[in-house]
Amino acid sequence: MPRESAGTPLNTALSAHVLDEIKELPAKYPQPRSAVMPALDLAQEELGHLTPEAMTEVAEALQLDPGYVEGVATFYSLFHLEPVGRHRFYVCTNLSCMLRGANEIVDHVKRSIGVERADQVSADGLFSFEEVECLGACEFAPMMRLDHRFHYDLTAERIDALIAQRRSSLPPLTPALSPEGEREIAKPKRETAKPKGEREAATPKKVTAERPRAPRKKKAADG
Amino acid sequence: MAELRGSHGDQPNHILTRWFGTPDLHKLEVYSSKAGGYTALRKALVDMAPADITNEVKTSGLRGRGGAGFATGVKWGFINRDAPGPKYVVINADESEPGTSKDRYILENSPHLLVEGILIAAYAVGANQAWVYIRGEYDEPYRMLHEAIEEARAKGYVGPKPLGKDYPLDIRLYRGHGAYICGEETALLESLEGKRAQPRSRPPFPAVKGAWGRPTLLNNVETLCTVPWIVNNGGAAYAKLGTEKSPGTRLMSVSGNVRNPGVYEVELGQTFRHVIMELAGGPPEGRRVKVFWPGGSSAPVLPESMLDTHTDMEALAAARSMGGSGGVIVMDDSHCVVRAAHRLLKFYAHESCGKCTPCRIGQDWAVRTYERILAGEGSQVELDILQRVSDGLQNGRCLCGLGDSGGWVIDSTLRHFREEYEDHALRHECNVGKVMASA
Ligand SMILES: Cc1cc2nc3c(=O)[nH]c(=O)nc-3n(C[C@H](O)[C@H](O)[C@H](O)COP(=O)(O)O)c2cc1C
Ligand code: SF4
Ligand code: FES
Repeated sequence: MPRESAGTPLNTALSAHVLDEIKELPAKYPQPRSAVMPALDLAQEELGHLTPEAMTEVAEALQLDPGYVEGVATFYSLFHLEPVGRHRFYVCTNLSCMLRGANEIVDHVKRSIGVERADQVSADGLFSFEEVECLGACEFAPMMRLDHRFHYDLTAERIDALIAQRRSSLPPLTPALSPEGEREIAKPKRETAKPKGEREAATPKKVTAERPRAPRKKKAADG
Repeated sequence: MAELRGSHGDQPNHILTRWFGTPDLHKLEVYSSKAGGYTALRKALVDMAPADITNEVKTSGLRGRGGAGFATGVKWGFINRDAPGPKYVVINADESEPGTSKDRYILENSPHLLVEGILIAAYAVGANQAWVYIRGEYDEPYRMLHEAIEEARAKGYVGPKPLGKDYPLDIRLYRGHGAYICGEETALLESLEGKRAQPRSRPPFPAVKGAWGRPTLLNNVETLCTVPWIVNNGGAAYAKLGTEKSPGTRLMSVSGNVRNPGVYEVELGQTFRHVIMELAGGPPEGRRVKVFWPGGSSAPVLPESMLDTHTDMEALAAARSMGGSGGVIVMDDSHCVVRAAHRLLKFYAHESCGKCTPCRIGQDWAVRTYERILAGEGSQVELDILQRVSDGLQNGRCLCGLGDSGGWVIDSTLRHFREEYEDHALRHECNVGKVMASA
């Protein structure tokens, strides 16, 4: 999650202790390069998403080329390159879930948190969502992952209860594990993070076409 | 304990799931005392030579449960045990094939079963280090497997002298980050090495040059979980189950339009009618099975008329499909085949790693063609394009199986449901009731 306090900008750079932790990773693998994803995990855990500054710092800490690190980050859907809500819905819409009403679940989630697309964050900063491919729990369809937990046999009522619960309880200050994301982000907007209020205000304007899904992005990063 | 939706308890054909449902089975103490856990490890390390273990696995006839169905013992034999330097066992716990949830079912119920299987395999092929590549979204299975490994470490099963044997064994976990292609074995190795997961061309095969350039045995979770039973009971006893060429049992995750979706342990050779209509309870009241995917979304579809197809790999090959990952997706007659195919092509297009042109371009092309057809803008041209794209994706034109998979979805749905495609493309109507918007 972004470390933030009212009125101060979100952090875009990693703290010293995280960088120290990252520098210790390469020794844990037969070859140091394997540390790149665990390192990006740590970075994302601290900042909520991978800022360009963070990726550059990870690259320096691991003595890798920044372009290489970004190439890895853009390939995998669990790395976010743009801000996400404090709680994120990953709703499976692959076949087994679709056959049991996943598309209606997605509609309900969107309506309930008040966003239209996966690149938006709800006005209160609490929620964002993403449609994902099969999560390996098809016998519980329709299902989703909310932050780090699977939720099964989804209905509109269940979604409402989960949302109400999160709205009423104080959000956690630090996440349990790195939040995960999607690969919507071929050309991450190089904006440095904005104050919270500003981000909310800006959100509704960020309208992009619905279909710029990953393959192009992955491929775009190929060359 | 995880909710058990599927096989558990004492049944004649329950090898993997026999002890599922035992309270606290995920704890080493219970796994050992109630389920006879780690007796196979003891037998392997204390009483057997590594070559004997591999021979038992060969005798069992066990075939990989990850998708390709390759003979497990033969694969183990490819690793030169005496080659100097490190060798690795890498476990494929990436489970991302749509319709497949069996490895999760094992990890959430009996993580020590996998730990035991890994340790035996590592000893047999001459590796001291195993890596489990587990998909990033599996938070709970990750946690459970991590705890199981730490319990086994505390007990000394993982460590410098497991069961007193001077043969160090270690298991480490590596999380995936959301990419279906990481399930393909060489893409998985690239990912483990900290790279973008794009498949390698073979040869060299992982057995010769795998993880970090070293000889590597790569097996699926379920495959290795079968090994303790084989060590305990002998390969010949395993070979008696199932059919001659597809021995044993396998987990089939049945999902979609059935009354009792779940992960069922099935003796190979049973029919899909048994799996879908009996174990999973058949379609909802008043509905019929229209089509099913017998081995994950990548396995060519079979129509209702082929429910009596047997589950062994030979029978499936004869039916022009495959056993794949064991994921059985059932669709009833209230759903549209063209729409389902479109959804799967979106999946393959989304997950294509972009390395080969037919896959990178073809899958996207197919998606756009489906979109025109579903928008009521189809014609014979669109049907021809689909067939052409499908042909272009198959038969070795792509580096890995992901390309073929998209092609098989198109090809098999077109082959069995031509009329439904023609309804959409030529007559601009959908026979499951909904008249198309612009028709
Ligand atoms: C696109 C693609 C995805 C795959 N996904 C998986 C997977 O998620 N899990 C798995 O065990 N095998 C998967 N496989 C099969 C592996 O490449 C490999 O054959 C298997 O893990 C070997 O283990 P086994 O011999 O024990 O089956 C996939 C193959 C392809 C082509
Ligand atoms: S077939 Fe597709 S997924 Fe496989 S290597 Fe080629 S482009 Fe990548
Ligand atoms: S299709 Fe949704 S979990 Fe598998």
